Amino acid sequence: MSDPAVQDALSAAEPVLEVTGLHRAFGSVRAVDDVSFTLARGGSLGIVGESGSGKTTTARIVVGLERADSGRVLVCGRDRAGHGGRAGHGRAERLRRAREVQMVFQDPFLSLDPRTTVGGVLRETLRLHFPGDRAGHERRTGELLDQVGLGSREAGALPRQLSGGQRQRVAIARALAVEPTVLVLDEAVAALDVSVQAQILNLLADIREQTGIGYLFITHDLGVVRCVTDDVIVMRNGRIVEAGPTVGVLADPQHPYTRLLLDSVPRPGWDPRQIAEARRAL
Amino acid sequence: MNEGPMREGPMSEGPMNPVLDIRGLRLHLPKTARPVLDGVDLTVAERETVALVGESGSGKTLTSRSVLRLLPPGATTEGVVDVQGESVLTMDPARLRRLRTHTAAMVFQDPRAAINPLRRIGDFLTESLRLNADLPAADADRRAGELLEAVGLSGRALRQYPGQLSGGMLQRVMIAAALMGDPVLILADEPTTALDVTTQAEVVALLGDLRERFGTGLLFVTHDLGLAAAISDRVYVMYAGRIAETGPAEALFNRPRHPYTAALLASTPRLDAPPGRLAAIDGRPPSLQEELTGCPFAPRCAFATQVCTEEMPPPLPVRGEPNRLVACHHSDRLADQLAGRTVHE
Amino acid sequence: MTTALLHRPGLARIRTSRSWLYLLCLGFVGVIVLVALLAPWLSPHDPNAVDLGNALAGPSGSHPLGVDGSGRDTLSRLMTGARTSLLGPLGVVVFSTVAGVAVGLAAGWRGGWLDSVLSRSTELVFAFPGLLLAILIVSIYGEGLFAPVVALGFAYLPYVSRLTRSLVLAERERPYIEAYRVQGHSALQICLRHVLPNIAPVVLAQSTINFGYALIDLAGLSFLGLGVPALTPDWGRMVFDGETAIQSGYPLSAILPCVAIVLTVVAFNVVGEHWADQVARRDR
Repeated sequence: MSDPAVQDALSAAEPVLEVTGLHRAFGSVRAVDDVSFTLARGGSLGIVGESGSGKTTTARIVVGLERADSGRVLVCGRDRAGHGGRAGHGRAERLRRAREVQMVFQDPFLSLDPRTTVGGVLRETLRLHFPGDRAGHERRTGELLDQVGLGSREAGALPRQLSGGQRQRVAIARALAVEPTVLVLDEAVAALDVSVQAQILNLLADIREQTGIGYLFITHDLGVVRCVTDDVIVMRNGRIVEAGPTVGVLADPQHPYTRLLLDSVPRPGWDPRQIAEARRAL
Repeated sequence: MNEGPMREGPMSEGPMNPVLDIRGLRLHLPKTARPVLDGVDLTVAERETVALVGESGSGKTLTSRSVLRLLPPGATTEGVVDVQGESVLTMDPARLRRLRTHTAAMVFQDPRAAINPLRRIGDFLTESLRLNADLPAADADRRAGELLEAVGLSGRALRQYPGQLSGGMLQRVMIAAALMGDPVLILADEPTTALDVTTQAEVVALLGDLRERFGTGLLFVTHDLGLAAAISDRVYVMYAGRIAETGPAEALFNRPRHPYTAALLASTPRLDAPPGRLAAIDGRPPSLQEELTGCPFAPRCAFATQVCTEEMPPPLPVRGEPNRLVACHHSDRLADQLAGRTVHE
Repeated sequence: MTTALLHRPGLARIRTSRSWLYLLCLGFVGVIVLVALLAPWLSPHDPNAVDLGNALAGPSGSHPLGVDGSGRDTLSRLMTGARTSLLGPLGVVVFSTVAGVAVGLAAGWRGGWLDSVLSRSTELVFAFPGLLLAILIVSIYGEGLFAPVVALGFAYLPYVSRLTRSLVLAERERPYIEAYRVQGHSALQICLRHVLPNIAPVVLAQSTINFGYALIDLAGLSFLGLGVPALTPDWGRMVFDGETAIQSGYPLSAILPCVAIVLTVVAFNVVGEHWADQVARRDR
């Protein structure tokens, strides 16, 4: 985690990601209801919520896999959200959007092509975004693998020969190969064992320090949020119910839903019946 | 001296009746270099909640499935698995069917995968009782309705299809289904992992209530040490097919005696821990193709010495806490270090 | 994680990785293909050499499988007949697979109106019995192998395209496809470079089985006197020519081509099913 002085300097700088007034409805269900937030350069913002909160839809809109009904998504001042079919087409536009925001998915196995080797995955990306520099690609592939803690032995392996943690490292390397400004992590550690999760979280913290990339971290796990984010927003039923610095929100939650989420984390002396009642009351 | 497997239930109970008694369970799968389960000892008493904690590959799911003899094809077993005194591994098929219907029941991780989406909830609940001719249809339906209400759903759910219920509600249906045969033992294999954290609290509260009401024993398999410590009386920690450590939940959580347990606790992101880097464990659990001599955790252990790679540590009582067992050559050194004292060789 | 179970019923009990039945059928297929390729050099007699004096003789030293109603050696005709009998179905399968995959890929990937148009068109073709379509085409274009092959190719296309379409629909939802979109690859690139190779094994396994059906259909056409010209040795044609032989009480020249057809179709089916099972097991 960066120290407070740097933090202040960063938040004073122009935000790399600005989301304003995002709306998305599926039929009569408002999946995303007036969501706005910003992410500073090199910062890390967590979006916390349960299923149905709209956090995943929000992330997918930021990445470009979904269209918003209305609202703006600005990356470095450039508008991305192409609602109503105004999104630019064409190769250059597509590549530029990819270089703004990249994503690491939840399931490490399904997010990799089962027939492509690790080295092949990275080479594909490099060839797409940095064509014409073949020799440089080999070097860069080695650098990326090194950065995520994989070796040359893994470079020739297929996804099914790797463990969950290794596959997720490959997914991170693939996202980093594009050199994006923002990295969206959609429950990226939820499918991993606890000890592997710790390794990946440490790796992500290291990468953020090294590259200054911004994180948008989607998760339901408050422990993870505390570990890897500077700021957090809490979503419920499509709306933001609370936002602020992570440490502050988790130490002193203002909204009853946030308090309920905190209480729901199991610990010795936990009374689940109380939580069940509190949930019904909300 | 090894005092044998733990047999204690909650201290206030009278004579101990282990509902589940596993002794020296070994499970071999074809084409592997080491047994998947290598000498597991585990007991669950009446009205007791026992948690079995481990990561993927530790063997915790296979242990729970072996209680119902739901083993992968080609598996061979050694050792004893007794439910209410009867050996499961050597039962004849008719008795086994009776065991699975009436004596022990399992709640699986993903309720949507464990239920037929094309049949109504009522059909699903009463199916096994009706088929085994144990209850007439009317009685079975009545019991299903009662149990649905006991788990907090209305009787209306009997007529609904699984697709119409949420994940949390469906898991309650699975719990009701487990209780249909009036079992003495419930095996819950990560029952809340697929659920939201607030729903998890509700389901856990429900399991606690039902345990008190119906007097069943509960074996709760999970990877979440915090959850295990919060809801169970005793905890077993598994690694690479062996029990690393066992003891009362609170003691194990606050004063771990096995380096793996301590490392697991240190690498879990917790709300009450200081923010910053987690103390991750290097390396990975041993694959099934590797042969093991000595302690399986030795390659990743900060306390490992020569003896750890040569000799398998037997489960021994912890110094000063006789109702805890730990399988480690250096558990004392760990205890000293955690207590803040420096260790000299 | 849930994956679709592609377990195929069939000779499951007999089939293991190195099952004898599979190996036997694979060997048989290999032999038949070799014979077809080397027929001009392997056949002991000219398949079209007529010898009316020897008509309908039984097996003898110089004619191990006897002769047919015109005195032509049955063994040589079987060997040479393998050429057209295998070539025809090969053409059908290649045409229907290439065209079917293209149609199914377009329909499944794009969806929308393209999917509707393509799916409804293929359903129309489905409704039309393949053999009747082929007969219709032949009656317009006359004898020859080309017309019935193309006709049957169209008749088989919907099977392949329907399979491809459902595979593409399933594959399209996989997270790795989304990952490639986020990476910035174009839809066409993803479709051709990632979706196609991943669905190809399933489609190809199915096509191997279609080979057997095509063989039966083409042999049936030849039996009806359509398709191959009168003098060409072709198994179906041989059955047609053997009609009189059966009536005269010397059925060998008619039965043997039937046996050849049955054995070849069964062999191809077993091999194709085995490959389909292997693909399904690998995907799991």
